[in-house]
Amino acid sequence: MRRVEHVMGFPVSLRIDDEGDFGAAADAVFARLREADERFSPFKDGSEVSRYGRGELKAGDLSADLVEILGICEHYRTATGGAFDVRLPGRGLDPCAVVKGWAVQRAAELLADAGARRFCLNAGGDVVAVGGPWRVGVRHPEIADHLCAVLDVTDGAVATSACYERGDHIIDGRTGRPATGLLSLTVTAASLTEADSVATAAFAMGGEGVDWAAGLEGCEVFAVDAGRRVLRTPGFPVAAHQEV
Amino acid sequence: MKRAIPVLVLTVAGLVPVWRYAPSDGTTTTEAAAPASTPSASSSSSSSSSSSSSSDVVDGSTVNTEKGAVRVQVSFEGGKITAVKLLQQPNHPQTTAAVPKLIAATLEAQSADVDTVSGATLTSDAYRESLQAAIDAKGA
Repeated sequence: MRRVEHVMGFPVSLRIDDEGDFGAAADAVFARLREADERFSPFKDGSEVSRYGRGELKAGDLSADLVEILGICEHYRTATGGAFDVRLPGRGLDPCAVVKGWAVQRAAELLADAGARRFCLNAGGDVVAVGGPWRVGVRHPEIADHLCAVLDVTDGAVATSACYERGDHIIDGRTGRPATGLLSLTVTAASLTEADSVATAAFAMGGEGVDWAAGLEGCEVFAVDAGRRVLRTPGFPVAAHQEV
Repeated sequence: MKRAIPVLVLTVAGLVPVWRYAPSDGTTTTEAAAPASTPSASSSSSSSSSSSSSSDVVDGSTVNTEKGAVRVQVSFEGGKITAVKLLQQPNHPQTTAAVPKLIAATLEAQSADVDTVSGATLTSDAYRESLQAAIDAKGA
């Protein structure tokens, strides 16, 4: 079965290849994403994130989920020397970069819990693929309807950070300016929580982010730098027939 | 109780990268010319009892590792290590490297039959024109 819904401002495509009725499980996936949006969106005034950002909630009053999310944010802020920062000066608290991967990963786990063995969940370009082989294309950074790589994924997550359109920027927290140095950076990891966080954090670092992400255990990296050069780790799961 | 949670999360999430520096050049036995600031140079002293005086440079003894012989020279200043220099290192240019050697290639544009597409967050507007939308439509 396949389903596409728009949640959190982006399209979420779900494909389940198992026999049987997974309609209720699919409903639960989208419900969980909507719930995460209600709770953690900085664009909703009543969300826990907005209330905490405005100082209406104290750190001790936060839900365990938000504490976990902020812990991950802080981990990557430190690990990137401040390049990745969810509290940029002049802006409210915005942990979206971590919330997305975290929420989609947890939603995908509902499918496994419901007994699905082969499924693929793509949330606005971030992918959780289970029970492969799955062929996952990486969008070409400059040509929207082309790919720049094809991956073979059995079980795992793929996340890409890039700025395709003008005005859509990832800020380098060290300078307060849009990150430069990379056109696109893709990370594979066991969970989307990690893949998405690392992809965003590395992109914020710019060129040095490639080495940083490549040195993380369990992460494989495919990057296109500003000079249109491709750099990838030896373990990046490029599909067999293809020479990238 | 709740305050303990962030600390735990940080610990659990702690994928702290282990940076190991791999010497880029595999030369052996660099006769390190001690900089002018430390003329009280090395000699054979393995006497590690660094005095509390201003600066000392101490040559370590040669240690045989599985990759080869390693010998370091350590500069102290007032009891603090200010520099560590490799006097001798294995011939292997890279002993260990946590950062794998990256493979470089040129950017290709291709179209291929794939199950799904990874890309930076698609807006719902951009989705309509996207490869992923075509894939979803084809499979529906």
